[in-house]
Amino acid sequence: MEVSVIGCSQAKIGKTELAYRELGCFDPKGVSKAFSAKSRVCFSPSTRWRKAGIRFTLRAVQSEAVRSEKVAASSRISRSRDGVRLFVGLPLDSVSDCNTVNHARAIAAGLKALKLLGVEGVELPVWWGIVEKEAMGKYEWSGYLALAKMVQDAGLKLHVSLSFHASKRPKIPLPEWVSRIGESNPNIFFTDRAGQHYKECLSLAVDDLPVLDGRTPIQVYHEFCESFKSSFSPFMGSTLTGISMGLGPDGELRYPSHHMLTKSKQIPGVGEFQCYDKNMLGILKQHAEATGNPLWGLGGPHDVPTYDQSPNSNNFFRDNGGSWDSLYGDFFLSWYSNQLISHGNLLLSLAASTFSESAATVCGKIPLMHSWYKTRSHPSELTAGYYNTTTRDGYEVVAEMFARNSCKMILPGMDLSDEHQSRASLSSPELLLADIKKACRKHGVEVCGQNSSASMAPGGFQQIKKNLLGENIVDLFSYQRMGAYFFSPEHFPSFTQFVRSLNQPELHSDDLPEEEEETAHSLNVSSEASVHMQAV
Amino acid sequence: MSTVSIEPLLHHYVRGGVKYGPKSKTFKPCYFNCSPNRKLLFHAPSFCNFRPSSFHALRASSSTDTALVETLESADVFFKETFPLNRVETVEGKIFIRLHRGQNNENMQLAVGCNLPGKWILHWGVSYLDDVGSEWDQPPAEMIPQGSIPIKDYAIETPLKKALSPDGDAFYEVMIDLIPNSAIAAINFVLKDDETGAWYQHRGRDFKVPLVDYLQDDGNMVGAKRSLSMWPGAFGPLSNLVLGAEVSHTNDSDGTNEFREPKQESRSLEGFYEQPIAKHVALENSVTVSVRKCTETAKSLLYVETDLPGDVVIHWGVYRDDAKSWEIPSGPHPPETIFFRDKALRTRLQPKEGGDGCWGSFTLEQGLEGFVFVLKLDEGTWLKCMGNDFYIPLPSSSSLLTKSRQDLSESAQIPDNNAEPNEKASLSAYTDEIINDIRNLVSNISTEKSRKTKTKEAQESILQEIEKLAAEAYSIFRSSIPTFSEEAVVKSVEPKPSAKICSGTGTGFEIMCQGFNWESHKSGRWYMELKERASKLSSLGFTVIWLPPPTESISPEGYMPKDLYNLNSRYGNIDELKEVVKTFHDVGIKVLGDVVLNHRCAHYKNQNGVWNIFGGRLNWDERAVVADDPHFQGRGNKSSGDNFHAAPNIDHSQDFVRRDLIEWLCWLRKEIGYDGWRLDFVRGFWGGYVKDYLEASEPFFAVGEYWDSLSYTYGEMDHNQDPHRQRIIDWINATNGTAGAFDVTTKGILHSALERCEYWRLSDQKGKPPGVLGWWPSRAVTFIENHDTGSTQGHWRFPGGKEMQGYSYILTHPGTPTVFYDHIFSHHESEIAALISLRNRNKIHCRSTVQITKAERDVYAAIIDENVAVKIGPGHYEPPSEPQRWSLAVEGKDYKVWETS
Repeated sequence: MEVSVIGCSQAKIGKTELAYRELGCFDPKGVSKAFSAKSRVCFSPSTRWRKAGIRFTLRAVQSEAVRSEKVAASSRISRSRDGVRLFVGLPLDSVSDCNTVNHARAIAAGLKALKLLGVEGVELPVWWGIVEKEAMGKYEWSGYLALAKMVQDAGLKLHVSLSFHASKRPKIPLPEWVSRIGESNPNIFFTDRAGQHYKECLSLAVDDLPVLDGRTPIQVYHEFCESFKSSFSPFMGSTLTGISMGLGPDGELRYPSHHMLTKSKQIPGVGEFQCYDKNMLGILKQHAEATGNPLWGLGGPHDVPTYDQSPNSNNFFRDNGGSWDSLYGDFFLSWYSNQLISHGNLLLSLAASTFSESAATVCGKIPLMHSWYKTRSHPSELTAGYYNTTTRDGYEVVAEMFARNSCKMILPGMDLSDEHQSRASLSSPELLLADIKKACRKHGVEVCGQNSSASMAPGGFQQIKKNLLGENIVDLFSYQRMGAYFFSPEHFPSFTQFVRSLNQPELHSDDLPEEEEETAHSLNVSSEASVHMQAV
Repeated sequence: MSTVSIEPLLHHYVRGGVKYGPKSKTFKPCYFNCSPNRKLLFHAPSFCNFRPSSFHALRASSSTDTALVETLESADVFFKETFPLNRVETVEGKIFIRLHRGQNNENMQLAVGCNLPGKWILHWGVSYLDDVGSEWDQPPAEMIPQGSIPIKDYAIETPLKKALSPDGDAFYEVMIDLIPNSAIAAINFVLKDDETGAWYQHRGRDFKVPLVDYLQDDGNMVGAKRSLSMWPGAFGPLSNLVLGAEVSHTNDSDGTNEFREPKQESRSLEGFYEQPIAKHVALENSVTVSVRKCTETAKSLLYVETDLPGDVVIHWGVYRDDAKSWEIPSGPHPPETIFFRDKALRTRLQPKEGGDGCWGSFTLEQGLEGFVFVLKLDEGTWLKCMGNDFYIPLPSSSSLLTKSRQDLSESAQIPDNNAEPNEKASLSAYTDEIINDIRNLVSNISTEKSRKTKTKEAQESILQEIEKLAAEAYSIFRSSIPTFSEEAVVKSVEPKPSAKICSGTGTGFEIMCQGFNWESHKSGRWYMELKERASKLSSLGFTVIWLPPPTESISPEGYMPKDLYNLNSRYGNIDELKEVVKTFHDVGIKVLGDVVLNHRCAHYKNQNGVWNIFGGRLNWDERAVVADDPHFQGRGNKSSGDNFHAAPNIDHSQDFVRRDLIEWLCWLRKEIGYDGWRLDFVRGFWGGYVKDYLEASEPFFAVGEYWDSLSYTYGEMDHNQDPHRQRIIDWINATNGTAGAFDVTTKGILHSALERCEYWRLSDQKGKPPGVLGWWPSRAVTFIENHDTGSTQGHWRFPGGKEMQGYSYILTHPGTPTVFYDHIFSHHESEIAALISLRNRNKIHCRSTVQITKAERDVYAAIIDENVAVKIGPGHYEPPSEPQRWSLAVEGKDYKVWETS
């Protein structure tokens, strides 16, 4: 929201924020863009501006009340280029598997606190395994609707994440009926070279196969979205401003290439390719035959390391002369990553068409596979399905796909900085993030930031700030995630501080008490003035 | 969050528990044969029956129950939870004292023993013939057994050794050789249990074994005069029969004693005496409750299992709706169930087949909200869950049945969520109000001036509101578990480290906040201001708060009390005091009252025009004032400590004074709800009186301010501050360990170490922490600043800018740390919060171990309990990478704290 122009200390921001919002101008995106240049002027403590602000007050209040509805409708068109809107994720298990709101009282208190803090909204994961738990087509939205009501009552915005995957911690399984099907037909799951199934989400190879009691997963996802849309229609566009489509493991567009990593967290391994379920192998075989190399279609590369090994422990990812850099390597990696992109395209276009009428933005999340980035082959990205190496830009196509569907991209890892990564993993979250952002900028894809680590490492907030303020591509940040730690005394004060600093990128001389008073005025002026201008 | 953390249950009922009561102190007729009796008195089975709470598998106990158990297993587990049950049991044993002839029939020996397990220490000294008064002296060196430690110049501490009696029972004993021709008139001693810090005396005074016959009989002698026939009548005559047996009995341990040549035949002093004693032992048991839903009948099957020994009665009922009233469910009820009034049922639990604990199972009809119970061990011993009834939610609706959403959302919550709708409503109303205020504020702006002030107000109120809400959300998230999480079913509650409560230490996990500074009286409404911050302090992790002195006082800060029963002070009136105490109790913080017992300001002048006549309810006269301060012309006894010259010092040796003060303290406990005391200027009177006060007022926690100067040579602080800390230890000793004391030594040493960059000072010659916390950590209350040393007085201010180094020391080390109000609400807040959270997370307590790994010029480092490492000072230190893996948890200017990952 338009807080970047606002003064010094946090409470003042809170105040103006609230004043601003209560007046009804909750989405002054287009206007604020035009306005921002002017509002900067307000920082100079000029009496004239102050007076002007005061004079406009009443008029602004009146005119705004009338305008608010129109503004909402235009929300997708333009965006603020100055401020960052902040969302906070609700607990993963906000709704229990029998559709009740877990620790509702805590969430209610938390929502109020966030509202007062000036946070724009909350992100809510909506689980397939809870809503459509018992039987296909039998949806139970009550818990989520109750929660959405709470969010609405708190005056916050809502961004839902439709989650078609399962979660290990807290334990949220896939729908019971899907798991039952999976027991008799494990080929609906991703499978690695050793034949182990990843049972937390369905393989992208079955997207269009009628494996779910005669229906394809895409159909099932679609019906889920339709049901969601009709159930949440009262919230659509007003409270509900964003919908992110679950695209794979942990909701991210990727293969579950790293799920078997062992406990030693120090150096993550390269992961493994997940193309060994019956259907994937079938597609690979067809593709190889079609391109004239039938022998290449018999399986994945034979010379890859295992999950937690380093790139050099086998031949495929070697910096020099690794098979990734061969004709075969290019054949396989192109196919592997194209499968992922067309899967993403399928789901995002589905979501985009389903929700096209509603005023909510559709998003998809991609992973930040940052380990081994400093090698030539980027093995972690390759196994996850991103054909991005020192010689090839793999994110261009991805960004292009998002742009085609007018979807927003959710990018995690905004809190990670290179200096906190283990040296041995040759990782660089910062460089990778820059790569992806570049691709997005090129294709005009908006980015919604997220943080990756649950507990903020020292310097994490600074890193986020750096990522948010420097660029104009990220206009929304979704902070993960509310819970005991979030509100704990070791975390919450620094979060408060972070929100505060986010809203005022440049520090003013608030050490001087007199100056402070002055700034307080000008900030009031600025918000009121903006209201006024909007009304004009 | 899959577990419910439950506080030790202990302190909720320890108040009602048995003390080292008068009963056990009264003398019983002597037993001639000690060993068989010992068995009867010492409840060995219950003592050994310790078992950490764990997952209890279902077991078919007898053939008749098999069917039931099967049904149980076929149904889904709806709820399963193991609750720890901590309680204190009093075990009885006795102290025996024997005076007998050693080997060769030449030297007399005094044997002191005890048949209760413990870390027994004999704290003793002698009286010489020419002594006047009741002072103790060091015994001659030859009399001191090996392994003894001298305590200053008047006492010896000798540990008791474990031995086996002829019939195989373990007991503890120490022997002291008596030198016949020395001028020793009597041996004085008390017995101390180092495990609990408890002291055992004889009729409230020292044991005294007279060795000569012309000592005056002052009523507390237990020894023989001249011969056995001279034992005081109340003890009954002792037969000579015992002597033969006793001598042989102790031969096995004679080898450890120094044997001395006889010089002179002593008189026949042989005798034997026993005194029954009682000791509190903390026991941990658990109760596991599981609820299964029978799919066929839709009834709930509830199974209760516990490892409590003996007969356990479960006193239970159900909640039908969220009204939270106990009701009786419809039958059938389990066997051995009786109605208790018309509100509850009492069922005796069935003993388990193994004999270890008992169980009960209950079939409950459909549609009940919850099952509530408490456990009853015997008359007067009730076990509850954090002071409340145990509450078990029941599946009021099956997942197959469709019920209204609201019902579902409520029934699925853990107990405290039942009250949710109301509270939620009030909460949201409250917040809405604030938001409205702010809105009005904005639209009502009329002049620049009012806006100026209102901006500030709005700022404050929003900040406070956010903090309050966050604290609330935190406390719920922290304690709630997702009702249907599978992990909650499998995991049992982590057993808490055994925490004994005693007034010297509280639970041992206390973290104190000094809740005021020297300026707090100025607003006139400090209690109300503090009340606003209660939930914040609770969420920071404090467990105890020290409130300012509550009484009417000549000085506004409260340290010159006048009428002790007038609790209207500059901090607020008595009602506000009660309110703030209640608020702190509601957020789980214990409250200490600051009581000034050393001196009291008079109401009136005496006939000489000296102010020493008191008014109010305690209308004492000059007899209550010590005699050795000429300013106030007291007519009492000489002071038992140092004098505070600004006001009449109270003579605690007067019975009426002590009686009145005890009554006052008990009144404060009851009327105000104080949980304990911070005792002002305890240097002014003997610690033994403090012991009387604490034993009578039974505080949860008490700490005394014993503040005197450290030793300096040529203006530089000595490295060795042992005499300083010894003085504090002596005071704690005098209170019998019933109170802790502020660790002034540690503060002083931190001053020098940080200010002068002399971090080597943080290790004493033996490689231990150099303050009180190195010697008696459980009684050391560490702090870096208080209202006198810092605040606006600044009598002895902590080196500026180094406060966080100080806190990183005391918040990671053993002892009970105290954080000063001014530091909490300052820019240090987040760092202090992080350190407190680390302390709680790693369960550092007042007895944690410290291993100093580095104490050099510019860096000090230590490892606490093997899972926390701390470094203070600008120098470099990294904890060793083996065997633990460390991760940096908190860091600030010149300090770092790691925890094992």
